[in-house]
Amino acid sequence: MGQRRKKADVSASSEKRASEADTAASNPTASNPTASNPNRKHSICMVSDFFYPNMGGVESHIYQLSQCLIEKGHKVVIATHAYGRRKGVRYLTNGLKVYYLPLQVMYNQSTATTCFHSLPLLRCVFVREAVTVVHAHSSFSAMAHDALFHAKTMGLNTVFTDHSLFGFADMSSVLTNKLLTVSLCDTDHIVCVSYTSKENTVLRATLDPQIVSVIPNAVDPTDFTPDPSQRRGGRITVVVISRLVYRKGIDLLGGIIPELCLKHPDLHFLIGGEGPKRIVLEEVREKYQLHDRVRLLGALEHRDVRGVLVQGHIFLNTSLTEAFCMAIVEGASCGLQVVSTRVGGIPEVLPEDLISLCDPTVRSLCAGLEAVITQLRSGAVPSPADIHARVRSLYTWRNVAGRTEKVYDRVAGEEVLPLDRRLLRLRQHCGSVAGSIFAFVAVLNFLFLLLLQWLVPDQVMDRAVDASGPRALWGPSQRDHPAEEAGAGAPTAE
Amino acid sequence: MVLKVFFPQCCNRADSGLLVGRWLPGRDTAVVLAVIHYPFIPSTVKQYLQQIQGQSQVPVEVLGSWSMPSEKQEGLDSFLRDLSTIFPQTRWLQVSREMGQTGFSCQLLQLPPEKEEEEEDRVIFVHYDQRKVMLSQLHPLESPALPGCEEPSELRQMFWTVAHSEPLFLKDKYDEGPLKLSHWQSEGREASILVELMKLASTPLCLLLAWLLAAWSWVTSTRLLNLSPLRFLSSKLSSCVQLSYRTAHMKTVTSPHTATSHTHFMRKANVLVSLLLDVSLGLLFISWLYREERLARLASALLPAADRVSRELEDLLQWLMGAPAGLKMNRALDQVLGRFFLYHIHLWISYLRLLAPFLEVILWYGGLSAALGLTFALSLLSDMLALLTFHIYCFYVYGARLYCMKLYGLCSLWRLFRGRKWNVLRQRVDSCCYDLDQLFIGTLLFTILLFLLPTTALYYLVFTMLRLMVVALQGVLHLSVDLINSFPLFALSLRVFTPYRLAEGVKFRVLSDEPGTALHLLMEMNALGLGEVVQTYRTPTYSCYPPDSWGALLRKLFVGELVYPWKHKTTKTD
Amino acid sequence: MDNEKYTDINGKAIALNYQRHSSFCTEFTVSSPKVSIGKVMVATCFVWIFAYAVFFFTDNTAVLSSAIIITLIGMMLYIHFVKIDHESLLVIGSLGIQLSSSYASGREHTSFIEMSKIKDIVINEAIYMHQIIYYLCILLRDPADTSAVSSVVPLFQSSKPRLNCLVKVYKSCQEIISKC
Repeated sequence: MGQRRKKADVSASSEKRASEADTAASNPTASNPTASNPNRKHSICMVSDFFYPNMGGVESHIYQLSQCLIEKGHKVVIATHAYGRRKGVRYLTNGLKVYYLPLQVMYNQSTATTCFHSLPLLRCVFVREAVTVVHAHSSFSAMAHDALFHAKTMGLNTVFTDHSLFGFADMSSVLTNKLLTVSLCDTDHIVCVSYTSKENTVLRATLDPQIVSVIPNAVDPTDFTPDPSQRRGGRITVVVISRLVYRKGIDLLGGIIPELCLKHPDLHFLIGGEGPKRIVLEEVREKYQLHDRVRLLGALEHRDVRGVLVQGHIFLNTSLTEAFCMAIVEGASCGLQVVSTRVGGIPEVLPEDLISLCDPTVRSLCAGLEAVITQLRSGAVPSPADIHARVRSLYTWRNVAGRTEKVYDRVAGEEVLPLDRRLLRLRQHCGSVAGSIFAFVAVLNFLFLLLLQWLVPDQVMDRAVDASGPRALWGPSQRDHPAEEAGAGAPTAE
Repeated sequence: MVLKVFFPQCCNRADSGLLVGRWLPGRDTAVVLAVIHYPFIPSTVKQYLQQIQGQSQVPVEVLGSWSMPSEKQEGLDSFLRDLSTIFPQTRWLQVSREMGQTGFSCQLLQLPPEKEEEEEDRVIFVHYDQRKVMLSQLHPLESPALPGCEEPSELRQMFWTVAHSEPLFLKDKYDEGPLKLSHWQSEGREASILVELMKLASTPLCLLLAWLLAAWSWVTSTRLLNLSPLRFLSSKLSSCVQLSYRTAHMKTVTSPHTATSHTHFMRKANVLVSLLLDVSLGLLFISWLYREERLARLASALLPAADRVSRELEDLLQWLMGAPAGLKMNRALDQVLGRFFLYHIHLWISYLRLLAPFLEVILWYGGLSAALGLTFALSLLSDMLALLTFHIYCFYVYGARLYCMKLYGLCSLWRLFRGRKWNVLRQRVDSCCYDLDQLFIGTLLFTILLFLLPTTALYYLVFTMLRLMVVALQGVLHLSVDLINSFPLFALSLRVFTPYRLAEGVKFRVLSDEPGTALHLLMEMNALGLGEVVQTYRTPTYSCYPPDSWGALLRKLFVGELVYPWKHKTTKTD
Repeated sequence: MDNEKYTDINGKAIALNYQRHSSFCTEFTVSSPKVSIGKVMVATCFVWIFAYAVFFFTDNTAVLSSAIIITLIGMMLYIHFVKIDHESLLVIGSLGIQLSSSYASGREHTSFIEMSKIKDIVINEAIYMHQIIYYLCILLRDPADTSAVSSVVPLFQSSKPRLNCLVKVYKSCQEIISKC
């Protein structure tokens, strides 16, 4: 599967993609026949800066994946940083335990990284939960990288999921890529959400493609069912749901809206999401007097998304970079015609006839949208129910969880390098300067760990009572027993 | 079900008799208030209890029987059982002491089901000191706003019961009468004659003072004194503010209504004590000030001091007009600013020369105000400080305004730089297309402002420092005035000398744990912490509003907003 | 009374005593180790050596006397306000729960919570300094809404026992609370 590099603009047929996905999933076990028995239950700690109550693709990925893994009988805990007053330990549905650790947030909900300060708390989590696999998410999350580093110092197996694409050209990417190289060279296995993303990650972090798997994201098809009765007659509604930030191409959207609204008097826009670029849309709306036709809904709760989606005919995605776009799958699942830019992993996501791909320019997007509008007017589009029926089986969380489980099985069989070989590998892999620096940091980290182990030995720490997994104290019958309520507030049920 | 019996310590060794008290509604809790000894006539007992009930609003009833082991009587059991039929109750307690044992034994007779329950260890005896419980006040104080929404807790009910059955305790041990009672006895009432006399005298005094106060407040509320400049001045002069506070305090103290609630009483007492303290401190201060020509010396020292401050300021300005600390300033602007401020100082000195002959007289009469209390003298001092440093205030205001305007201009021109503008209607930054001329002029102005900023900023910085020193001094004066005004001296002394009067709660000690007998607990008062006393009983004043945080102060200083020692009315968060 | 070994979260040995006064009244006492003479000596010596070094260079005897006073006052403050020897929990069925802590100087701090205010007593997890620990706490009932928790009173705050000790106390407390 390493040879199968795919260019982002090559559109492949859905059958081919499906077969590839299967190979990718079966590959970990196939390439490692000595893996231990498949029924082995893991104790997994998901680490990321991004988790609820923050909203986004990574957050729901972690939550859904954890729920499905718990259903399969694994023990899952999540470690993230504290969000405002939400600190300490909370329990979510089915005994999913979340540690909101009090670490300082620096920028964009990402914690500051010093390579050391998070070690005491993360060590405590790893030890008391008897974690066997540390699964870090998102390359934007400093906490995830820290966790990978600490887990290796403590001798645990690690998995990393990359959710985003990066460039190579500018200064910040060069730096981030170097850090990623260091961070991932120790990681046992990397999961990417699309082939484009895999290619990108392999190149950025100079990885061996053998240890990179592709497991796409998924949506819950039962949450996103079509309901054509919600559509208003006599108008065509375009729905956009994304964070209003530069990466999502909101400036493109600001160019499209006036042009199309002039041409089609029955065209309406429904825009959900919040962000710094909201001002662009508001100005466009005021300049062209489109208050009745462009509605800005502001930040949406996850449960309200479907209600907005079913009101539209066309789902528009203007992202400038995207590893795997969950929003277009949700849109298609609700029976909408999807128009999107052809960037990153988007061409892999949906079959060709369900999506119209355009270049990320205003002109191309307008042309694409107009073509779809003409189709809609002539009635030459499949019905929402048909689209939903085709999409619903494409991506499911159970499938994702099953494939991730295979990754865990493979990883659990691998040995963790002792310190000397780890240092050697760092030197070899990351170049002499950066490698030496990080080898030094790794030594310091190890010494810090020894100090912590001397201050509070592992055996003095209480083992946590399991809420999920094979030795779960809360059976399915008594899950909602409030024996241990977390924090001062009530536990959040998602 | 666990039966709880609150038992007064003074009845521990009382002779046998009837237990009088009250069942707390809805709970298995009995509060024993007294023991009526044998012999008695049942009808008299009933009559007496009804009379007590009428006086105290406490539903006092006969709870059961109490027997001491001293007398050996045959057929005691049947006698006690008969008693329960004389006083028909749903529950009947039979408490008895036995020889050689410290504990009591207790039997509960449930009358309607005719079922006898006898579970020795399901009973808790809580021994309490009747006097302390009667006099103490539980904290946190009950808020009178919502009495109905929540049932008061068990302890509160118990405290209420004991405190309200005072008429029961008035009956003396040595009184001749048909009934003999055992309960807490007051030690004596000799001193109370004085108290009664004072009470009698206080009423006309209060009336007189209240009338005077009413006249005073009528004078202050006349139209003439409420004209806008006077009103503004009086709201800024701390002596006027202090005067209005003291008037309000006097009104509270002299109101002819007797204090009904505990809070009200404590408020009155605290205000009275702090008033007395204030006046006595003020008299001490006067006796110190008006001796040995201190006042004259002070007056003669004041003027040279003010002169010296002015001279120092002049030196400072000269320094600033050169190259302060080696900084190269914009020479022209520097000179203009420096001359402007120098002229101000000149004005100020001439003002002081005019004032000089009257200074001692002003001080002499000002010092007299201490007879009204030390707080008045202190607030007057603060006002005088403000008047004597008026030039510093002026410098500060000019500097701050200039600096503030410059910052404002820089901000909006920076937006112009980036092709944006502030939209006043929507309170946000919009993008905007400027033409070339606008951009050119804007850039030019921006550059000029930016390069002139350090000069203004330096002047602003120096004068802000001076101003902050004055503000800090005034702040200390205000704080001390406020401390005297609001310090709850009465409550604090009450807490120190009779700790049980202000109780935070109770604490229990296990007395005996002999197997087979009921559990005996001793209830003691848990005194309120000193910090809590101050917090609960301090008289609310203007400094109770949350002060500006240091961060907010720094922010204000940075953007050039004016800083005052007093609070604006709008910032009150009451 | 059993002789199981208990430790606090830092691995220091503590002792748990419980005294059953009756079937619905039990007192738990957690005693932490006393102030060790060695530590006091080390601290005192450190201060005095420092003071002597300063004295050696400045020839000011006030330094020495102030060092003595500082040590004495510091020790007094420490045993009066910081060092807690015993923490006890007196559970009286249907009446309430009394928490008391006695300091090394003999000062005692007691507070009593009535049963009607108590919603439940639970073991909770919290982040404490750089550790995640279990602790026992009393949930107070919200007077406005009886199903809600208005605040939490943590128990054994100074001697933080480990889970096995907490479970023992928790079980006995639950037994008493459920009975009444």
